[in-house]
Amino acid sequence: MITLAVFTFFAVLAVAGAVLVIVQKNVMHSVLYLAFTVLATAGVFFTLQAEYLGAIQILVYGGGIVVLYIFVIIIVNLKEVVPERRSLLPKLVLVAVPVAVGAEVAYLLLARGFPVAEAGGEGMGFETMAETLFGSYLFPFELASVLLLAVLVGAIIIARRKLIHDPD
Amino acid sequence: MIPIEAVIVLGLLLFAIGFVGVVVRKNLVVMLMSLELLLNGANVILVGLGRRLDSPRGTIFAMFVIIMAVSEAAVGFALVLAYFRQKKSYDVDALDDLKG
Repeated sequence: MITLAVFTFFAVLAVAGAVLVIVQKNVMHSVLYLAFTVLATAGVFFTLQAEYLGAIQILVYGGGIVVLYIFVIIIVNLKEVVPERRSLLPKLVLVAVPVAVGAEVAYLLLARGFPVAEAGGEGMGFETMAETLFGSYLFPFELASVLLLAVLVGAIIIARRKLIHDPD
Repeated sequence: MIPIEAVIVLGLLLFAIGFVGVVVRKNLVVMLMSLELLLNGANVILVGLGRRLDSPRGTIFAMFVIIMAVSEAAVGFALVLAYFRQKKSYDVDALDDLKG
């Protein structure tokens, strides 16, 4: 019961923060609300007993991605707020499509219930998770390290100011 | 025990809000932020299902999604910097050079 109350609290915070992210005119305010949403989502993960993922969420999102956003906004230093020149009717249509899709899925879900297979009973503890990650998912894990290396190199090459003429 | 429907509705809400942000806003940085919201919604559903099935796989999949989100953010920001250097603007409408 108390878990459900805490879950509801963090869920409401996350949704409110997410709405504020997309309606803010000022980009810096959007980033701060994004940090808020990310931390609330970490709280949701904690109530779902995914402690490891909650910690990763705080470290990687709260400490990494949000700071990266703030850095980029400071670097490009956009003084003027870009006015959104889309008129009202296309905007309403564009809002209606995701809302309709989400409402339909939610309706089907609540009307019929969500079919879930019987619990496997593997447990969600650290030990089980580590054994599964380094057992069944070892290859994707190693592939992720290759992906991160490629991203590191690619981001540096795309973002650098000009070509470096290496005499060698 | 949290009902699975509540978790999925939360994930759907976050996903729908992120979707609205991607299609409605024209500011490149806000669009990238909305992408993060989309991925967060997917993560919430994955973790909820993992909890329901009492399996570590939901968490592991969500971890891979986070790795992908970090990669996307890093490359996205490199592109934003390159874009800004070219156009002096965040607005996606400024990128109409290939207009037929």
